[in-house]
Amino acid sequence: MVEPSQPLRRHVRWLWLSVMSFTTLMLLIAYQTRWVYPEIHAYFSQAGNLTGQQLATRARVYLQQGLDLLLSLPRDSDTRERAHFQIKLAYSLFDIGLYRRDYPCTEPSLAAMDDLLTRLQGSDALETDHLRENLLKPMHCLTQIEMHQLDRRSAVTAEFVEQTRRHQGQVLFGSLVIFVSGLGFWLMHELQRRRAARSARESLEWMAKALCDPLTGVGNRSAMHDDVTAAGGAPMGLLLVDIDYFKQYNDSLGHPDGDRLLRRLVQLIEDNLEREARLYRLGGDEFAVLFVCHDDEILSATCRNLVESLRAANLPHPSHPHSDHVTFSVGAVRFNASHAELEAGYAAADTALYQVKARGRDGWAVAALDTSEMSG
Amino acid sequence: MSLFHPDRCMVRLLAAFTLLFAMPVLADSNRLLLRDGEREIALSVDELRARADVEFRFFDPYLAEEADIRGLVFRELLVKHFGEVPSRLHFEAWDDYDVTLAGWDDPDWILVTHQNGEPLTLRHRGPLRLVERDYGDRDPANLRNFNDWIWMIRRIEAVW
Repeated sequence: MVEPSQPLRRHVRWLWLSVMSFTTLMLLIAYQTRWVYPEIHAYFSQAGNLTGQQLATRARVYLQQGLDLLLSLPRDSDTRERAHFQIKLAYSLFDIGLYRRDYPCTEPSLAAMDDLLTRLQGSDALETDHLRENLLKPMHCLTQIEMHQLDRRSAVTAEFVEQTRRHQGQVLFGSLVIFVSGLGFWLMHELQRRRAARSARESLEWMAKALCDPLTGVGNRSAMHDDVTAAGGAPMGLLLVDIDYFKQYNDSLGHPDGDRLLRRLVQLIEDNLEREARLYRLGGDEFAVLFVCHDDEILSATCRNLVESLRAANLPHPSHPHSDHVTFSVGAVRFNASHAELEAGYAAADTALYQVKARGRDGWAVAALDTSEMSG
Repeated sequence: MSLFHPDRCMVRLLAAFTLLFAMPVLADSNRLLLRDGEREIALSVDELRARADVEFRFFDPYLAEEADIRGLVFRELLVKHFGEVPSRLHFEAWDDYDVTLAGWDDPDWILVTHQNGEPLTLRHRGPLRLVERDYGDRDPANLRNFNDWIWMIRRIEAVW
């Protein structure tokens, strides 16, 4: 047998898994936007900072400026000093460990520039060969470095783009899997919820059926006990109603007519009683009526009205020994709603009912739990 | 072969004239200028070298090798001359590079004056250079990680 708590636990588990899936999806999206962007920024937002422009490019520009100065007139000490300054800046930007390590032309180029700087500090004349060796060759080297560095940067960028594309594909696939899982878990949760709701509804229906008389649709003995318990000590009136000579009615007209008579009787009693009164079939032709009742006068009046209205209905009874119509006997009692008092009240009302029957039926009698009695 | 061909003389003259105004003014690279509003202080680089009291050895990513470094705690220099650490600083370098950066209230920044026992010169990205004594777990093979290191410092201006 399945424990009642197990469906609930399964129910919550599917819901929890669904919530976890969608939370994971949100975290994945947050990761994608929050953490991947800085990486893109690092790759593509280098303009304006130290390495935004290649150091080799900057060194080459200073070398070109130095060369322009050295090709200009007049070649006085001021021009040489300016050229010296430009070449020093170029040297400074060229003398990078990465260039020394990766580009063999770097060391000889720096040595050539060093030689030129020494010459510029002295008074030696500069010939075309000096400029070709000491400036054009380093510029050629720097151009090679620039081109290679650009190629490397392009390769790194292409690799990054490829990685990003692959990463995005993985994230998209992962997102889809998580999304579909989340939907699946939610669907399982919904199915579980509907199954639990249907089960609860069926249980309630079965419980209602268990408390209901199938022939007449009114409550049965169990329902009466439940209602008395639920009333919690309130003053109640109990009427026991019995059809006189019902066996003979069935014998002469058949059980289907007997069933019809029972249903007709239910309708008559319900029409006659206050809306708050409840009717129960206790078995065979015996019915009980429960209602809130504060004094014996009301109880007696209810009995009287009920019997008179049933007489007025003039239901035919072909095998009644003393009448042409169906007659009824009613026994009544007042009690305070509790299981114990119901037992005593029921016994007292039953006694009153049999007293009516002993007196010739077609009447009513009210019993009291302290044994005093009224009848009509 | 002669350096000066008569046909190109005029063009070169024009180029030289243009360069005269385009290139950095040949000022005294033995000075560091500190500017705070209208107030400007000129510090002697030799004096800064003499005051350098922090020494350590680290891997210089631009040199791609270990180097012995000597210099001053930059934060202390700022406090001494600006009263406190400005929220941002504008730097000008001898190669005309200029940048404004924040986050200098950190004793990890060293104003380098010497490398491997030798005073820094323009040829060695001096005479003054700013580096971080401890650059953590940044990959020194990727020079992009050290974009905020400043070389050849000529002038520092407080930006409050």
